[in-house]
Amino acid sequence: MSSAHEVETSLKVNGVAVKETAGAHLSLLRWLRDIAGVTDPKYGCGEGVCGTCTVLVDGEPVSACIVLAAQVDGAAVTTAAGLCEPDGSLGPLQRAFHECHAAQCGFCTPGMLMCAASMLGEADHTLERHEIREGLHGNLCRCTGYGPIVDAIDAAQGSAP
Amino acid sequence: MFVKPFRYVRAESLAQACEVLRTADGTAKVIAGGQSLLPMANLGLLDLEAVVDIGSVEGHRGVDENDGFLTIGALTRHRDLERDPTLIAQQPLIPAATSWIGSARIRTRGTLGGSLAHSDPAAELPLVMTALGAEYELTTASSTRVVRADEFHVSYFTNALAEDELIAAVRVPALGPGWGWGFAEISRRRGDFAIAAAAALARVADGHVVEARLALGGVHERPMRLADIESATTGASASELDARIGPVEGLQAVSDTSATAEHRTHVARVLALRALTDAVRRGEAA
Repeated sequence: MSSAHEVETSLKVNGVAVKETAGAHLSLLRWLRDIAGVTDPKYGCGEGVCGTCTVLVDGEPVSACIVLAAQVDGAAVTTAAGLCEPDGSLGPLQRAFHECHAAQCGFCTPGMLMCAASMLGEADHTLERHEIREGLHGNLCRCTGYGPIVDAIDAAQGSAP
Repeated sequence: MFVKPFRYVRAESLAQACEVLRTADGTAKVIAGGQSLLPMANLGLLDLEAVVDIGSVEGHRGVDENDGFLTIGALTRHRDLERDPTLIAQQPLIPAATSWIGSARIRTRGTLGGSLAHSDPAAELPLVMTALGAEYELTTASSTRVVRADEFHVSYFTNALAEDELIAAVRVPALGPGWGWGFAEISRRRGDFAIAAAAALARVADGHVVEARLALGGVHERPMRLADIESATTGASASELDARIGPVEGLQAVSDTSATAEHRTHVARVLALRALTDAVRRGEAA
């Protein structure tokens, strides 16, 4: 049984191994942003409701604001930046968001992308639009620009995220 | 987001975690999924000396079937409750109700034991366990005991757990022959806590109710069995239920920004009827 205020946490963030010692009270979101310098996941509500901090932990969606980094020590974390092609150009899902104008202020976009990546990754059939809308119920866009977001996810179906 | 620093303890067994709780004098909390604890921490509602992580404790996960009963480990995550083939086949009320919890993100992390121990009166799992007459196996570093769901859930966020006690497992009956189930809920937005929710089970023979179980959530200080409505349904067909079910009595519904107490009390009956009707229809087909 280990016990400390500071803990060493090793995560593979978008394919890059990061090992840092930091306060055990840090959420995965704060660890990513303040310790690892990965700033695409955003802090919205702090309650796991708004979805703007959505990242994948070992392929599954979580609200990074309500997971401690220490809890997921050793995991592979994917953020919206991890959806890029290896050469840094936009991946298919990012490109679909760009082409469909699926961002207004852009604050919810990293979370929307990760929700979409999870949804399309788990789908065993081509999703109907109502299923895409249902899958987005936990991600809020305060610009209310949901239509183009649904368009983008629909357009990206069939291409690897 | 300004969470005060705390000591992080990674327990290797539930007994170890219980021992930390016993010596912490109320200043330590256990974290499993953390989907209730960490929102409270982010909102500044907690001042903790230590957080004890039981997420890497081995075992206490998954579903075991034995002699008509299902034992579910307390560390089983909501997404696993939703997808477990034994539960889907033997007690589908649990996966169906679980799919109403939060979003996929919450269900990825949240655990059965965590939800029950948090004892939110509007949460789905305490409601379902109350309807099913579940038994919770509670453990300390040195002892175990079994407490029924309706004895465990006492009031708002209040339950029978001692300060150094954890839920280790939950035991529910498998759905027997001729039994059907129903679950109904309304909330302001999908994934919010329920304004009201109902869980029902009915044993049906020749199209008529032989016995029924009904519990409501979100409308009282704890999940509430409704014995009067249960007995009023005896002998009814699905289409006769509406005439048999009177107003729901004895609720202490509260008014908040989601709904007035009057509205909650009204929809409690509507949801009870929907859940019972689904239970009877499924029982007819079983």
